[in-house]
Amino acid sequence: MNKTTRILTVDDSASMRALLLHALTSSGFEVAQADDGVAALEWLALNEVDVVITDINMPRLDGFGLIERLRAGDRHQDRPILVLTTESSDEKKQRARNAGATGWIVKPFDPEKLATAVRRVTH
Amino acid sequence: MTSEEIQAIFFVECEESLVAAEAGLAACKDGTQDADTVNAIFRAVHSIKGGAGAFGYTALQAYTHTFETLLSDVRDGILAVSEPLVDVLLRALDTLTDHVASARDNSTPPEDAGLIAEMTAAQTGDGAASAAEPVAEVATAPAQPETAAASSDLDFDLDSMLDSIVGDFDAAEPAAPAPSPSWKVHIRPHAGAMGNGGEPLLLLREVEALGGECVACETSSVPLLDELNPQQGYLGWTFLMPGSVDQAAVQDIYDFVGDDCDLAFGADATIPAVRLSVAAPPAPVAVAQLAAAASVSLTPVRPTAAAPANDEAAKPAAGQPQVQSIRIDLPKLDRLIDSVGELVIAQAMMAQRLASEGIAASEELALLDGLTRDIQESAMSIRAQPIGSVFSRVPRILRELASSTGKQVKLELIGEATELDKTVIERLGEPLTHLIRNAVDHGIETVQERLAAGKPAEGTLVLAAEHRSGRILIRITDDGRGIDRERVFAKAVEKGLVAADAQMSKEDIDALIFAPGFSTAASITSVSGRGVGMDVVRQNVKELGGRITIESEHGKGTSFTLTLPLTLAISDGMIVNVGDQTLIVPLTHVVESLRPKPGDIQGLGTNQQLLNVRGKFIPVLPVYQAIGAARSLANAEAGVLIVVDTEVAGQAALLVDDICDQRQFVIKSLDTHYRAVEGIAGATILGDGQVALILDVDGLVAGALAHPDRKAA
Repeated sequence: MNKTTRILTVDDSASMRALLLHALTSSGFEVAQADDGVAALEWLALNEVDVVITDINMPRLDGFGLIERLRAGDRHQDRPILVLTTESSDEKKQRARNAGATGWIVKPFDPEKLATAVRRVTH
Repeated sequence: MTSEEIQAIFFVECEESLVAAEAGLAACKDGTQDADTVNAIFRAVHSIKGGAGAFGYTALQAYTHTFETLLSDVRDGILAVSEPLVDVLLRALDTLTDHVASARDNSTPPEDAGLIAEMTAAQTGDGAASAAEPVAEVATAPAQPETAAASSDLDFDLDSMLDSIVGDFDAAEPAAPAPSPSWKVHIRPHAGAMGNGGEPLLLLREVEALGGECVACETSSVPLLDELNPQQGYLGWTFLMPGSVDQAAVQDIYDFVGDDCDLAFGADATIPAVRLSVAAPPAPVAVAQLAAAASVSLTPVRPTAAAPANDEAAKPAAGQPQVQSIRIDLPKLDRLIDSVGELVIAQAMMAQRLASEGIAASEELALLDGLTRDIQESAMSIRAQPIGSVFSRVPRILRELASSTGKQVKLELIGEATELDKTVIERLGEPLTHLIRNAVDHGIETVQERLAAGKPAEGTLVLAAEHRSGRILIRITDDGRGIDRERVFAKAVEKGLVAADAQMSKEDIDALIFAPGFSTAASITSVSGRGVGMDVVRQNVKELGGRITIESEHGKGTSFTLTLPLTLAISDGMIVNVGDQTLIVPLTHVVESLRPKPGDIQGLGTNQQLLNVRGKFIPVLPVYQAIGAARSLANAEAGVLIVVDTEVAGQAALLVDDICDQRQFVIKSLDTHYRAVEGIAGATILGDGQVALILDVDGLVAGALAHPDRKAA
């Protein structure tokens, strides 16, 4: 029996957080949430996760910055990080990949597809 | 959490975003055009777009898409912030506000083709002259661009792949369709596919889950064990895929890893060659790859020189006390406030009981008293919000007025952080809007008039809020022409509101503009409406337990002052005795109280008395007469007079037997428990459990003065 996959979602929009929480918990994941990159780093300093799902545009520390800092650190260097974004240009994807993103999900997302994207990088 | 609840959060968020964007654009207009400001505007619009997509508000999403694209160019420095551009953005924001409202109310989306065209034109740097062509292009297909954009988004998304999985399963299980020929795909993950938390095995499994069958594994590149670097990709796979699976489905899986995995489709294709990273033997591949990529614009990955700087950049932010908030359903909060109100009363009742038992001086009671007050204040503060949320709508109103009236008005805001009850804030919007429209339409002159009067061409409107002795004062001041009292009076006479020979003070004439059906605008403008505005304004303010007063100087300007309670739930009142009744006079009306000296009160006619307050005469209203209580005073000099301010009838002096206390009370409506009673605003429970009626001072005074003869009865 696998342990429950634990996910940290990072998004500054409360409605997006609510949607993610709903979608991910309905799919049986355990979910923690952070408002922005800085809050995510603080949380990740004390907790472990299996996957991080992050928005790009956020105040204080954006998604690219968050990924870069996680990859630069020791603890979450190999953690799968999915980028959740409305921006789907190749240039943005390349930038996310260069920063160290594992994959991306384009908003608006479908709960089931979101779950599949998470499973693609876990299990 | 239901989807309605999440949508409700979304709309609250939209409001916040709109306010943020408005503030950002206002800053841009004032010359603050730094990256943070522009980014904040972008983020606000971006966030609305994200939610709009998630909740399926396509019109809103399409519109925000164009808006966001334009903002993104501004953010990226492709477009310079110029005054015409800010103007377009401001108007675009207004339409966005309408779009959000229409999404929320499920109504027809606003007309946006013109603005979309303007935004497109602004983006391409075209002037207004060449804007015509994009107009045609965009206007003919307003909804199309986004659909197209959305579907192109999806090309790179997992979505279409998953659709095909679902489609595959759906199709394969119930009724197998005519089988298409199966096909081959060669997959060659390179070293990078294992970096960044990626795992090629999972992707291979996914291909398998699609129905793929691994037919070959290419192992020729695998080196001897002592040369093997576990971070390199040495293997290649060939899968046989069922014909029902689309090639794009496999491509989509590998879209995730990009260039770090080569794919080749078709039986004839050869497996892509192995690609070993040359310069990165045992070093962690992910880091090497990142370092290479970082040369573009990213900060180095290893905690080298730049990383500490990064740390420091993030630390102050992290160290700041985070503003954390929690959203609570309003009814829950209201229940809490209600209970707190009851608690306050219960506490007072107990104090009174203990006092009658002679043990009121106990320490525990003092403690409870302090705690009750703390709880009450905290509960009230939960409902308190800064008035800035109302003020933030004003710039838009002024912009619309500027375009419809041609009057340029500069806005000054003072005391935006002043907090007051949420309900008051919500119900303040409408009267405030009316007053502002009125100030611009009637108060502020046209540019020519202003210049002729030696004033600056641009008018000034000041909105100020402040707390004063437990009330909130909101002042709306314009530097316009002021109230033309002769015209107001003439109009009132013409409308039959006052007699032609009536002697009226300046204040009385000013107050006429609040009379129902009064309008001084020579022509009815769409701006100020049909003369119901000011009447409604006064009514709205009154319903909030507030008052509105005017100060005006001809040629200099007009100032409306709204005096409002901080909260609707609990009020302050003066407890008075009248005959055998205990009554409460809401403190909001009370100006002063005094014990009249002989000669202060003078008779007028047979049944009217006037009080001389420092040379000004105001009518005396014996409360016992007005409410039909038993007469207990031999004459007015034996009682206490409370000078009150009223909306309709100016000041009056209420004659009561004595004042016994001043305290807070919770208003209980009489309408719901009994029926509406003229002159009574409601009831409350006193500390000793007795029910006391709360006087409706406005109604009482207006009624008594309108029918002075009734008093004799």
